[in-house]
Amino acid sequence: MPKSQYVDPNRVFDPGYIRFDDIPVCRYSLTLNDEKKLYSKEDLVRIYHDMATIREFETMLNEIKTKSVYNGVEYNNPGPAHLSLGQEASAVGQAYCLDNNDFTFGSHRSHGEIIAKGLSSIKKLSNDELYEIMKTFLDGNILKVVEGKEEVKGDVKDLAEDFLLYGALAEIFARRTGFNRGLGGSMHAFFIPFGIYPNNAIVGGSAAIALGAALFKRSNHKPGIVVANCGDGALGRGPVLEALNMSSMDQIRELWGEGGGMPILFNVFNNFYGMGGQTKGETMGWGHAARVGAGVNPDQMHAEACNGYDPLAVIDATTKQKDRLLRGEGPAMLEVITYRTTGHSPSDSSTYRTAEEIEAWKNADPIKAFRTKLILGGIATEAELDEIHDTIVRRMTKICRMAVDETISPRMDLTKEPDAISSIMLSNKKVPSMDTTREPEVLIPKEENPRLKSLKVKSRWAYDEKGEKLPKMKVYGLRDGLFEPILDKFYEDPTLIAYGEDNRDWGGAFAVYRGLTEALPYHRFFNAPISESAIVGSAVGYAMAGGRAIVELMYADFIGCAGDEIFNQLSKWQSMSAGILKMPVILRVSVGNKYGAQHSQDWTALCAHIPGLKVVFPATPYDAKGLMTEALNGTDPVIFFESQRIYDIGEQFHKGGVPETPYEITIGEPDVKREGKDVTILSIGATLYRALDAAKILSDKYGVEAEVIDARSIVPFDYSKVIESVKKTGRIIITGDACERNSVMRDMASNITELAFDYLDAPPTVVGSRNWITPCKELDPFFFPQADTIVDAVNDRLIPLKGHVSTHNFTDVEKIDRAKKGI
Amino acid sequence: MANAVIMPRQGQSVESCIITEWKKNVGDTVKKGDILFSYETDKSSFDEAAEVEGTLLKIFAEAGDEVPCLDTVCIIGAEGEDISSLIPAGAESKNEKPETEKESKQEEPKTTTVVSAPEATGEVKSGERLKISPRARALVIKTNADLSFVSPTGPDGRIIERDIQAALDAGHTVSALVSENQLAGKIEKPTEKAETPAVFTTAPTSAPAPVSDYTDEKMTQIRKVISRSMHTSLTELAQLTLNTSFDASALVALRAKLKANGEALGLANITYNDMILFAVAKTLATGKYKALNANLIDNGETMRYFNGVHLGVAVDTDRGLMVPTVFDSQKLTLNDLAKTTKTLITDCQSGKVNPDVLRGASFTVSNIGPTGIESFTPVINPPQTAILGVCSLTKRVKEKDGAPVFYPCIPLSLTIDHRAVDGAPAAKFLSDLVKNLESFDLLLTK
Repeated sequence: MPKSQYVDPNRVFDPGYIRFDDIPVCRYSLTLNDEKKLYSKEDLVRIYHDMATIREFETMLNEIKTKSVYNGVEYNNPGPAHLSLGQEASAVGQAYCLDNNDFTFGSHRSHGEIIAKGLSSIKKLSNDELYEIMKTFLDGNILKVVEGKEEVKGDVKDLAEDFLLYGALAEIFARRTGFNRGLGGSMHAFFIPFGIYPNNAIVGGSAAIALGAALFKRSNHKPGIVVANCGDGALGRGPVLEALNMSSMDQIRELWGEGGGMPILFNVFNNFYGMGGQTKGETMGWGHAARVGAGVNPDQMHAEACNGYDPLAVIDATTKQKDRLLRGEGPAMLEVITYRTTGHSPSDSSTYRTAEEIEAWKNADPIKAFRTKLILGGIATEAELDEIHDTIVRRMTKICRMAVDETISPRMDLTKEPDAISSIMLSNKKVPSMDTTREPEVLIPKEENPRLKSLKVKSRWAYDEKGEKLPKMKVYGLRDGLFEPILDKFYEDPTLIAYGEDNRDWGGAFAVYRGLTEALPYHRFFNAPISESAIVGSAVGYAMAGGRAIVELMYADFIGCAGDEIFNQLSKWQSMSAGILKMPVILRVSVGNKYGAQHSQDWTALCAHIPGLKVVFPATPYDAKGLMTEALNGTDPVIFFESQRIYDIGEQFHKGGVPETPYEITIGEPDVKREGKDVTILSIGATLYRALDAAKILSDKYGVEAEVIDARSIVPFDYSKVIESVKKTGRIIITGDACERNSVMRDMASNITELAFDYLDAPPTVVGSRNWITPCKELDPFFFPQADTIVDAVNDRLIPLKGHVSTHNFTDVEKIDRAKKGI
Repeated sequence: MANAVIMPRQGQSVESCIITEWKKNVGDTVKKGDILFSYETDKSSFDEAAEVEGTLLKIFAEAGDEVPCLDTVCIIGAEGEDISSLIPAGAESKNEKPETEKESKQEEPKTTTVVSAPEATGEVKSGERLKISPRARALVIKTNADLSFVSPTGPDGRIIERDIQAALDAGHTVSALVSENQLAGKIEKPTEKAETPAVFTTAPTSAPAPVSDYTDEKMTQIRKVISRSMHTSLTELAQLTLNTSFDASALVALRAKLKANGEALGLANITYNDMILFAVAKTLATGKYKALNANLIDNGETMRYFNGVHLGVAVDTDRGLMVPTVFDSQKLTLNDLAKTTKTLITDCQSGKVNPDVLRGASFTVSNIGPTGIESFTPVINPPQTAILGVCSLTKRVKEKDGAPVFYPCIPLSLTIDHRAVDGAPAAKFLSDLVKNLESFDLLLTK
């Protein structure tokens, strides 16, 4: 809470009412004569054309899915196809209002939105711009397929229409000539040059991501708005509600300076069914989706509902919302009432609704209705519209024939190119600034930063000249090693933003950000609501839009609250986009140790399990700075684990202390912190210091010299140093604070066993935490690995130490028993 | 009444704070709410405001000092008031380094670890699956260490690297074939056979078995070494023995002279054996019989020829046969050779021989001494290719100028590994050796 906003006890208890304005529902009432003044014949015919194109595209998919043939083109498509037949007017009406600068995000049911937005961009872009996009996209691979096969030779718009439909269909059929080389597929297709951003197979998955793209526009003063499309079922999802709430943060208008509210439209295509559940009358209670938006902020998010079966009503409503966003009055919400006449997917036989209901909606078909309106209104003749329809069918047949043809639309060949997917899992680029064309916005020159000044008098080495340990208060600590490169990057990359819970003013729960509040304006550094999904999800969208973000979840335990955003979104979009998107996002999480079971967990294993994430866990100030610098210069998502045990620890290993100048430590390289010949101890995170204590006991009492290796990184991880050490010692303990079962330590033990089998004198042994809840601080030694636990493991599993009596039970019997009991 | 101002505790984890700036000086008047000083924790900075009015009478920490939480920082009261009861003990010497870091840098008395032999955690049993670490197994494959001498010291009776190394250090190796069998679990220990003689398992029922009077004794370690080594030698080498003898008159004459005058000249007690060793060294040093001064190694695939003559000297001790080596014996004078040999023999008998001299020989001489034995079959100590057996000195008759005369005779038995060398060159060597021994005077002058 910023000090500038005063909570006055004399005012907050004043009696009053919270008042709501009426929420308009289907209030569009223009007559055809009014509409004729607003739209040219060309406009109206184009609306018809675009709707009919979507209808034919999805009809084709339905035929292929259900009959394996469309107009004589035979094909069996094993992949998904979630159709939106019936919803065409909703998609076309929306896209009609959007420019190429406006971004759309969607759901698994977004073929219609992609085609509508694409056709809208084709209409609005110049021929030269269009051709340039087609020529450069994926090295012109898609253009090569469609060029020369257009209806009207030399017509770039005609060519672009082929390009759009073919690129989308080839993607749906998982061809390497698809928009994302077939790695996205039906539910994830997108095409950024037309402002079509990723669609998401996780219901409601796009809301927070779209918010992030809007945040990018707001924080970097970019033109245009962002539309987050979802279905009515998505309103049951927590991350969607988080995104609605976060987009409405008071600070955006109160504290962020010029620019007004968040330029985002949450657009709910309400087709009454979340898969088979009826949102109105069964699975939810709001009646109208717009009601949800109306409760979010005093503007009621300008929420209203419109008739999604009338494209002109949708255009009317969307235009009003867009104008509000451009005036800085965002965020906004629009409920577009619509209906899908086919099942959730072709395998859905619609057992949850009556044939009568479907039939009634088919009779109300928006395309038929609009066609009748154009003919009866004297705008177009039946013959003209028939001609349009025939052209669409010819085009669709041609596109379909090309997309199923293995010779011109091959799939990725993983026999010839076995690394085709490996090479795009991570981007591994170095881009120090995401935008070199402008100066970063800051409040004070870097040299005047109060934290930097206070660091000047601190020792960057943990010991004084006599070799005595300096008091922690006088030493440059690990938290300073994180702060320095972050501050540097804020003065280098104008797109960099940082946010999370309690980041500003407080300086972060663990004081890493102390000194940033003075340096940065609110729109680059702010407190987020307690909404982990929205925090991580928005960072994903922020990066998709071209920025770099550091977000923080405070405790690592809160990873669970942002599960989908970390595991399905942050991790996957680089590869699902075939490497087109970059994801320069650092997610900081802190491992606690004295606040009980839900605030003390090392969840590195969860993150390391998910392909597409880098995971690091530094334990020294030198390593923290080097790894943070590397992460900040990179283009990959990095889960940055920190430990609350050691934020204040000084540098004890890197001779000369932590350098003031920037330097990088390659993510993936472990570091030998103590040399030894008898046993190797590989440690993850803060356990390093207990491992070193164990090494001292082993040396002093038993003459056993331990080599202690600090993993530093978890993904990627270079095993060579560890294997080299094991070849020397023949024995290894892997230790860390995570619960032992299925941990990173177990994975490492398994890999080391494979890689150094003939050199092992004992089985690689894991010393992790017990598979329990974390008990209170006073019981720490029974749960977390300690120096004596490690020594006991050496004695019991690796090499009996003369005269040593273990107090921990490392026997096989105990191991089997624990596993059997699940503890 | 004066009041002490203490350093507040800002959170459970904070143990001390650093005073960053004093806003008031000693003697200043202080009002309620006045900021006295600023201080910081590692996470944040704070201002400490006065809660009482008065004069700042005394401060106990300067800016930059670290003060443990709840310690007194300063005292506010009336001018001239007695504040002695508020001054914390030891506070007068405030310039001393705060003792917040309890870590002592004193060099802890380093316990010198006496690395004694680790305790066995199990036993290697023949016929059972061998419990051995991959690393130890790899070392066995590389060195053919003899597993029958290995005592497991790893967890749960597992053989680990150090156990194999211990066997190697004691010189226990076997052939590749035996090693393979051992790794497959077939580890024959001589004692096991003796313990379970199958013939005694069924006692006759009709008559009581005669009570046999015997004592079972475990083989000593050295006995086991000899046993293994001799067994390997006879089962794996192609041994062939050639017998001859020589006229020891020259040696007898020299020995008589030495007995009379040697001590006066400072010469050692030079024995017949020393003289034979000397002759062997000189004969082999000619380089004409290098296959006899060699090791056959690498599973019988490589001959290792030695430039020096490293003579193994078989010594009978109370604990069994030992064979110390006289390295580069060809360089020694007879007197020095005798001295060296004497020392080695004494060391072996007293048990203080350096294990390093118990290997590395290129040729062995085994003197059976004054036992009346006239011929025997010495057994080669692999990987050497030959061994010379020296029998007892006897009187023999030979024909001289048509008449029988007695002469002192010493028979020699040379065993060679026929894989490494053939009989003819071995015979030639023996013949040269005999010539050298019979004209020992000339050999000495060479």
